[in-house]
Amino acid sequence: MKMHTKTIHLSVFALSAVLLAACSGPQVRYGDAKAVETVNANYGSTDLQIIAEAMTRSLLQSKAISGSKDAPIVTLADVKNKTSEYIDTRVITDKIRTQLMKSGQVRFAVSVTEMQNQTDELKRQNQSGLYKNSTIAKTGNMQGAQYRIEGSIASIVKTTKDVKDVYYVFNLNLINNESGLLEWADEKEIRKTATR
Amino acid sequence: MLLLKKTFLVCAGVGLVLLTGCASKPPAAMPEQAIVGRSPADPPKNPVIDAEALKAESKSIAVTDIYFKKEGKNLVFIEETRHKTNNNVTSIITPKIIEVDADKVDASALTGGANSSQLPVKFTNLADPKSTTPVISPVDPQASSNSSDSETQSSKKSGYESKMEYGELRYLANPIRGLLIKSGYKVVQAKSTIAMPNQGDEYFDIVKRIKAGDFADANYVLYGVLAEVSVMDNVDDIPGTKSSSQQVTLEVTVDFNVVDTQTNQIVASFIASGDGKEVRIDGKDNNFKASKAKLMKLASLDLAEDVRKNLAAQNFITNNPGSAGYERNLKRRLDDDASTLKVYK
Repeated sequence: MKMHTKTIHLSVFALSAVLLAACSGPQVRYGDAKAVETVNANYGSTDLQIIAEAMTRSLLQSKAISGSKDAPIVTLADVKNKTSEYIDTRVITDKIRTQLMKSGQVRFAVSVTEMQNQTDELKRQNQSGLYKNSTIAKTGNMQGAQYRIEGSIASIVKTTKDVKDVYYVFNLNLINNESGLLEWADEKEIRKTATR
Repeated sequence: MLLLKKTFLVCAGVGLVLLTGCASKPPAAMPEQAIVGRSPADPPKNPVIDAEALKAESKSIAVTDIYFKKEGKNLVFIEETRHKTNNNVTSIITPKIIEVDADKVDASALTGGANSSQLPVKFTNLADPKSTTPVISPVDPQASSNSSDSETQSSKKSGYESKMEYGELRYLANPIRGLLIKSGYKVVQAKSTIAMPNQGDEYFDIVKRIKAGDFADANYVLYGVLAEVSVMDNVDDIPGTKSSSQQVTLEVTVDFNVVDTQTNQIVASFIASGDGKEVRIDGKDNNFKASKAKLMKLASLDLAEDVRKNLAAQNFITNNPGSAGYERNLKRRLDDDASTLKVYK
């Protein structure tokens, strides 16, 4: 009888410990943002980093950028997502833009997606009548970009019962806005295979 | 011994006096040496030429106001009815003149638009005698009040009369005068010219004006004839936004010549244009009206800038006043002119 009571007490204690552990919530820890992510074969952070780094390095070595006396003015255009996945391509171009800006060899003009804020600000300063004339950022003085960056990302996915193979190709072009000439182009291929 | 000592002291004193005398003696005059193989330089014939002097002696230029010639057309329709009864002649003339823009007349006449429908006849040139042939109508026996020897003659003339307007625009040339002053020229005030009645293209005869002394003693005359003035008001969407931009632009194009008043030679010739633009975001929604005064100022400044570029391209002025090129340019002009020939050593 005494033995049975002791077993019950131990069981209640163990159960309580389990319940307490469950109530304490998930454990949070910081990881390395640059660490290789291999959760699955879908497009991920490592792919983003690989693409941005490769494209930036190649673009900075291009004649249009490195051979220019003054830092050329560039704007971002669309990178089309031709894959079956949802990929926010703006994140890729933003990352490339950040790295290019850090190099100091390129200046960026606002892109089409940022134009609403730009026009709103110009309108506020020029047309509200609230600002001192000498300090107004005047309409008609925005600088046009010499080049635009545009591209695409496409994928080929093949799956079997045990294997999923994904091939990504990211293509980026630098186009001279005035002449329409393609001044630079490069691509980055990534292959990922997941097995069960 | 004492005598010897005194003699020594006297000799020493005399020696010192002599030595002092020699030291203060002026040096003997040397005979003047003749300079062989060298001649002294001539005194400079000209004062030192510096930038200020160059500027002071620079050539003068007169800049006319911008000539213009405006073509206008009057639509004319004259109907004359003569009623002759025995010895009495009654004449009724009904003229109708409408002043319209020449281009619109032509377009309207071709397309049969609004202007052409105002008049019962097609547009013809009055100078053409065929278009003014009188129409003789036989007398209607019923309408002629039973008068057998009465006659009604009806004449209709229609068409357009061309008229030319000549003049000078007085508010475009001042920035050009300013840039020539900056470039080292003395700018001379030109006499204005007034168009006469029935003025022809001789209004643009600059040589006649030079000979008439309209430009005082200017070495050059820069004169321009207005080629076109246009005002554009466009509204366009701004991509990537919900806004639109209204752009009101005044554009002037002027044909320029620079004439040497001594030789009547054209030393520079070009067409320059300038535009003044006002941009308003979402201006269409707010019925924005651009300031014409502001547009005119911007256009005249832009025109002057284009004139500067063209004059520099044809080596009439240099780009940067005060630069080495500017001084060289002035010097070149002084060198070219025999009356102000300078000799540099």
